[in-house]
Amino acid sequence: MDEPIVIENLSKYYNHFLALDNLSLKVKQNENIGLLGPNGAGKSTTLKILCGLIRSSSGRVIINGQNVAEKPEQALSNIGAIVETPEFYPFLTPEETLKYLGRLRGMQTVTLKNRIVEVITLVGLEKWITVKIEKFSRGMKQRLALAQTLLHDPPILILDEPGLGLDPRGVVEFREILEDVGKDKTVFFASHQLTEVTQICSQVAVIDHGKLMVYSNIAELEKQYNSLENAYLELTGGVS
Amino acid sequence: MIEFEKLRVVIGYEFLKHIRRRRLYVILALTLFTEVAVLILLPALQGGYPDNVMAMAAILTVGPALAAIGAVFFSGDAIAGEFESKTGYILFTNPVKRTTLVIGKYISSTAAVTLLITFGYSIVAISLLSIYGSIPIETLESYGMALLYGGSVISITFFFSALSKGGMGATVITLVFLMVISPIVDTVLMLTDTPHWFMLSTAGDSIATVYGGYELFIEGFVPLEHIDRLPFELENPDTSLTSLAMAIYLVTGFIFSIIFGNRRQLV
Repeated sequence: MDEPIVIENLSKYYNHFLALDNLSLKVKQNENIGLLGPNGAGKSTTLKILCGLIRSSSGRVIINGQNVAEKPEQALSNIGAIVETPEFYPFLTPEETLKYLGRLRGMQTVTLKNRIVEVITLVGLEKWITVKIEKFSRGMKQRLALAQTLLHDPPILILDEPGLGLDPRGVVEFREILEDVGKDKTVFFASHQLTEVTQICSQVAVIDHGKLMVYSNIAELEKQYNSLENAYLELTGGVS
Repeated sequence: MIEFEKLRVVIGYEFLKHIRRRRLYVILALTLFTEVAVLILLPALQGGYPDNVMAMAAILTVGPALAAIGAVFFSGDAIAGEFESKTGYILFTNPVKRTTLVIGKYISSTAAVTLLITFGYSIVAISLLSIYGSIPIETLESYGMALLYGGSVISITFFFSALSKGGMGATVITLVFLMVISPIVDTVLMLTDTPHWFMLSTAGDSIATVYGGYELFIEGFVPLEHIDRLPFELENPDTSLTSLAMAIYLVTGFIFSIIFGNRRQLV
């Protein structure tokens, strides 16, 4: 699939409020794209539609050739996602949680067992694997969220502020993990952290008031506006 | 992976949720406490147990009936909780139909309620055997009615859970519906001599009245001649009609909870 994420004329109304205005984007395979925009620009709304959590008012989203609205299960089988600040069942341990999610995804017992150890080690939760999540901090839950995202080794990652709640060391570790796993995956990544986006992504899409302001290569934007920060500020109505 | 396999996975983990949470044990303890209270207070205040085993069996159904109502407490957040506590952001991004999730949650709640009701009836059976040396066959019918009542309570709770913003809201609305609205409407219909078999409170009464009607139930506490002083006639519920009513609540509540659960968005 050359373009695993295709967004066509996507609009979303919340009652009378237009959150997304005719957004169109095509993301190429193994491309890491950062979705930037001020608060309320429509980033989370876009990601939620991509993950089938909300329905669009018009337009469509195609994930690996599957229309999310028409065949959500087939589309979702290709993605791993962190949307907003997810929560987990507090009465389960990370191991039980990942086993539950892996089994829902049809993973075989032996493969799943090995993979749980791999992803838990990757996010640094190996000492907490059998501790109930009710004892976890925000940052630990965020690490577990990343683990469940990578569990089934999906070709597409959809991430909404994945570094939220992490301490500085956690942010750096997260970035390194994403840089590493993102090499052979398509990553759609919403963030306010321009540095983070620069390090993980090669492309950015800037949206404001639900509209796509620019979709370009980061290097080209930096060349045109002197820096990504300047580009962001100008495109979203700020002062550069 | 076929949806049936996913359903099995959902049922297993949802049941684990009920086992791990305190509410199940609180309701179990309340059921036990209620039965023990009846077994201690009745002879203490009346000088002994009723002569009729059927009257005692009817009185003891208060425990299992309480267990059935207790279903509200661990079904209220079944659907609403996924939205309120944001666990839906993890669960709903998996390739599993919402319908499968709701059905799985429903089945696991039903299994937990069955456990509670069975526990209640085990106490009833042991108590009757100890006191009277026999268990009336009607206990089995009462057990069936209690299970049906529990199932309909879960369906109604799921319905409100699919509509409510939070689990607590769904629990409170369902309790108000079951304990306030339904009995009030039921009483008004009864006083005006209007059919009321379709009210869930009447259906709930049939769990105890299968033993011989309201008269027999009251006989355990009050001399029967006092019943004549009531301002209305005690009409015993028709078990077949109340079973039909409960089945209707069960099916419609369940279907609507699936419909509204599917339509709901994680905004």
